[in-house]
Amino acid sequence: MNAQLNDSSMRESARDLIHESCLILNEGNWSGFLDLCDPEEFRYSVVNYSPEIRREQCWMDRGHKELKTMFDLLPRHNSDHAQLTRQPTVCRVSVGEKPGELQTVSLVTVYRTQLDGVNSPFESGQTSLYAVGRYIDRIRLDGDKATLLNRTVRLDTRQLDIGSHLIF
Amino acid sequence: MSETVAKVGKKSGGTVEERKSATTRRASEWAERPPLPDSHYLDTSVYFDKELFQEEIDKIFNRVWLPVCHESELSEPLDYRTSAVAGNKPVVMVRGSDGKIRTFLNVCPHRGNIIVRAPSGSLAKGEPSGNPKNMTCMFHGLQFNTQGRCVEIPRETQGYQDRFCKANMHLREIRTEVAHGGFVWVNLNDECEPLEDFIAGAFGFMERELDTEPLEIFHYQKSVFRTNYKLWHETSREFYHDYLHYHNRATGMLQPGYFDRTYEVFPNGHAATGLTTVKYEAYEGSKDRILTFPGMPKNGWKQLNIFPACTYSLRSSCLRVSVMTPIAPDRVLIEIRGLGLRSDTPEERRERVMDHDTIWGPFGRNLHEDLLVVQNQTVAMQEGAGSKYCVFAREENNTIHDEIGLRSYYEEWSRRMGRMASDPLRRIND
Repeated sequence: MNAQLNDSSMRESARDLIHESCLILNEGNWSGFLDLCDPEEFRYSVVNYSPEIRREQCWMDRGHKELKTMFDLLPRHNSDHAQLTRQPTVCRVSVGEKPGELQTVSLVTVYRTQLDGVNSPFESGQTSLYAVGRYIDRIRLDGDKATLLNRTVRLDTRQLDIGSHLIF
Repeated sequence: MSETVAKVGKKSGGTVEERKSATTRRASEWAERPPLPDSHYLDTSVYFDKELFQEEIDKIFNRVWLPVCHESELSEPLDYRTSAVAGNKPVVMVRGSDGKIRTFLNVCPHRGNIIVRAPSGSLAKGEPSGNPKNMTCMFHGLQFNTQGRCVEIPRETQGYQDRFCKANMHLREIRTEVAHGGFVWVNLNDECEPLEDFIAGAFGFMERELDTEPLEIFHYQKSVFRTNYKLWHETSREFYHDYLHYHNRATGMLQPGYFDRTYEVFPNGHAATGLTTVKYEAYEGSKDRILTFPGMPKNGWKQLNIFPACTYSLRSSCLRVSVMTPIAPDRVLIEIRGLGLRSDTPEERRERVMDHDTIWGPFGRNLHEDLLVVQNQTVAMQEGAGSKYCVFAREENNTIHDEIGLRSYYEEWSRRMGRMASDPLRRIND
């Protein structure tokens, strides 16, 4: 674990960025999310450890450009259009590997509010706990501006029902 | 349209032109059997009837070979993997010190407790109440070795004197074979035919890819879904539903050669869809799949459906194997595994994982779409909901939108069940 950050304003900047990223994702504002990320360096991945096969697994690994393509294609796919609500709790803000960078660990809970997934006459509007895990973020601070360089979503939940075309 | 279908159509539903001119159907018309041969449609009771479900477990799942895991999930001596088969019968696969994988009913013969609880692990380390190298029932401390023999009954002679002993407490062993890309197959029927007889040559067209060198698992996911196991399997047995998937439309249906792909039907209900070439780069952000399996051309795709609930899908760089375990008429455990070659370099493995996750995996583009449909089908087909019949009558010379894959499935289902899927509540001989 890297050294804890003592500068409260830097800590606040990191927290604000993580919270903002969730609010924007919750709104389905995909381009807004990408605007928070470094266009060259940003990498997003979803990983977990599977006790079933006793291996680390990667379920998604994409860069900024690849994510944009994926978001742009969403209207062409048949999806469940469920609302995903990401709720982060920023727990640890540490000094990063490089000058001006921070490493953060947030607990994240994802809720799913049904729309047209299955049997909408009964289930639309129903909210359930969908996934729990952690965001492990790498953030660059440049003055007042905080930028996401990397987000690893490390899931504890491994049963994701019908899955999702979206990101967590 | 085949001659048979035309004749049946004229007899029971008016001419095709007359039927086309009708706009909607009244309740009585909705309830009519489709004007098709019995082999070309089914009664939706096959998906929700509880007695039929139990009969499927007895007559099908308790008697056929079922894949339960991959050998790389228990690669070392003393490794184990637990699973459930045929309506939630708990089993444990154990690799013995001799390297052989054996399967046992994962039930203590003493008081019926589950013996090995974790999904996987190694017996090299002792349990809180048991010794290393043995499987220990934590309830009363009975221990079993990797050959299924009871090796420890605490205070055996004090309690049982000479009336009962370890020999009465051995585990129930289950027929096990490792084959077809290193999968562990089990059969609950002690008198069953060998696996190869059951497979009946269906793996022939994929043998080189699967068996030239060892494979290794890199992806595992599972969930319990609110659907009938057959509905999920059916998504792999017909490709007419490629209309559902933008990825498959872009990379397949809109490309030359797509409609030339053919089905081959094998004995015992297995069905293969032959090699086709997929234009992956037609899906924005994707590229050619050069990395493949031995003998597989770049961008190639082959698929094999094993009756009653398993699919091997080999898309150039990655193999997906999905296995369904029925739990109830409207509940199924679906397990999906992704595999590459054990000899992969880290870069090759990463490429296979990325390719796999593009369309499969919980965030893949296709899997989500298929699962949306099968759960909504179950809603529409529940008893009394209104959907009484399902049609699989497309005949296109066994090419990709022909529904021969479904018809061949229900032909085997009928053979084993003694019932026609089109009239399943009545036995054929009644």
